Amino acid sequence: MGAAGATRVETRTGAEVSATLPGDVASKPGAVAAGSRPAKTIDVREVNLFYGDLHAVEDVTMAVEPNKVTALIGSSGCGKTTFLRSLNRMHELNPKARMTGEITLDGQDIYAPGVDPVQVRRLVGMVFQSPNPFPTMSIYDNVAAGLNLNTGRVKKSVKDEVVERSLRGAHLWNEVKDRLEKPGSGLSGGQQQRLCIARAIAVEPEVLLMDEPCSALDPVATLAIEELIGELKSKYTIAIVTHNMQQASRASDITAFFNLEATGKPGRLVEIGATEAIFTSPSEQATEDYVSGRFG
Amino acid sequence: MSTGVRVGYQEELERLEASGLGGLEMVSVALNRTLEAVEHQDVELAQIVVADDDRIDGRYLEVHQSLITLLATQSPVATDLRLISALLHVLKNIERMGDQCVNVCKMIPLTGNEPPADEEMVKRILAMGGQTKTLISQAKRAFEERDIELARDLVRQDDIVDDLNRECFRLALEIGDDADKREWAMTMLLAARAIERIGDNAVDIGEQVAFVVTGLFREFEDASHPSA
Repeated sequence: MGAAGATRVETRTGAEVSATLPGDVASKPGAVAAGSRPAKTIDVREVNLFYGDLHAVEDVTMAVEPNKVTALIGSSGCGKTTFLRSLNRMHELNPKARMTGEITLDGQDIYAPGVDPVQVRRLVGMVFQSPNPFPTMSIYDNVAAGLNLNTGRVKKSVKDEVVERSLRGAHLWNEVKDRLEKPGSGLSGGQQQRLCIARAIAVEPEVLLMDEPCSALDPVATLAIEELIGELKSKYTIAIVTHNMQQASRASDITAFFNLEATGKPGRLVEIGATEAIFTSPSEQATEDYVSGRFG
Repeated sequence: MSTGVRVGYQEELERLEASGLGGLEMVSVALNRTLEAVEHQDVELAQIVVADDDRIDGRYLEVHQSLITLLATQSPVATDLRLISALLHVLKNIERMGDQCVNVCKMIPLTGNEPPADEEMVKRILAMGGQTKTLISQAKRAFEERDIELARDLVRQDDIVDDLNRECFRLALEIGDDADKREWAMTMLLAARAIERIGDNAVDIGEQVAFVVTGLFREFEDASHPSA
């Protein structure tokens, strides 16, 4: 954190975007649009990630800015998914996983002793590559599942409200409102993914992490999810891992490019900047080669 | 770091750049003929230039269409995207340069078979044309070699053309009272102006060179806000 308690991210659009940490959200520059709420910043400092002896990610320092979509791109095995998972401590589900450095959510260290990883994951939700609704549960119960886990018993009327709000938020309500008791597995792939997004936002997280959320979807469902992502950023901080360059360029505000120096070497952050700059004039040759598709 | 991925696409882009910039050679030929037609009042040669402009337009359409196809099918980004954007601009510049040659050539019949030509003015127009040919070949080389310094030097080269154009204007003012002579001078001023515009288009191509290399577009000289 800088002297003024602010973290600065060079966006390469000429201007610096600064976000105050922690709290004091009202003073945040970059004005949050009407009908939106200020979300939280994830600050990553000198993070290294390991699986046993394998050094997966090396020395990443960056910010995931509030009310913006940050795309993490890079070839397979460059550590971007591992990195994404470290943002809500999900990589710890692997018992050999280890992390050094610091990750804060609006100034609060999410790895501090005494911080409950389950609580972190409530604040920082995850949407996965293949839609994974609970297959035997109804659409309604799928959305309410996180609610039950996180807050214990909830009144039916409150639950109804949350389920409707979440399904509306995920652009799914109109399609499923008459069959809420039917199993979630009966929905199409795109609908299932939106159901998973509804489930993720039902617990009102601060941050949404998405790991290739459209890779199993057809182009129309993909565009629907991208549009939804564009709307969700008015309420949440969003980080998305994608292999689809056009998706990164369409759906994100900021793009971070991860790369391996060589096979067996850890992944590292090569360049982060405004998506527009990354796709028109990146600073690094490696970024240029990757986004241009010249990468072997 | 290029490891042989998307070779066909890269080759196509290189081919289109060569073909697009080849249009500058066509303009150079057209300008040569235009100057010869001016010098010798050669109406037939002037007509050939007018007819041949279709070839320059054809090149423009062909390369333009292929670049649009690349945009649609290959999703170019970064340097490739800047190159394609610049080529689309440059094609338009080349097409305009060809049109300016046509403009000059269309004026030659207007001046009559044995016009009351002012030797000093013709000399300057031919000098403008010669200098403009230098600009055209320099713009081409600057683009091919992505040489910003060479591109920037086009401004200096173009100043020479502009000075000659101003001299033509002065000579026209001083051409005297003879109505035929004055009509001839007015027509030749328009010709000089058309050649001067070719030089401006060459400078515009230089600006696109800077854009391809740096990603920043800046006019080398802003005609609406001159620095001096």
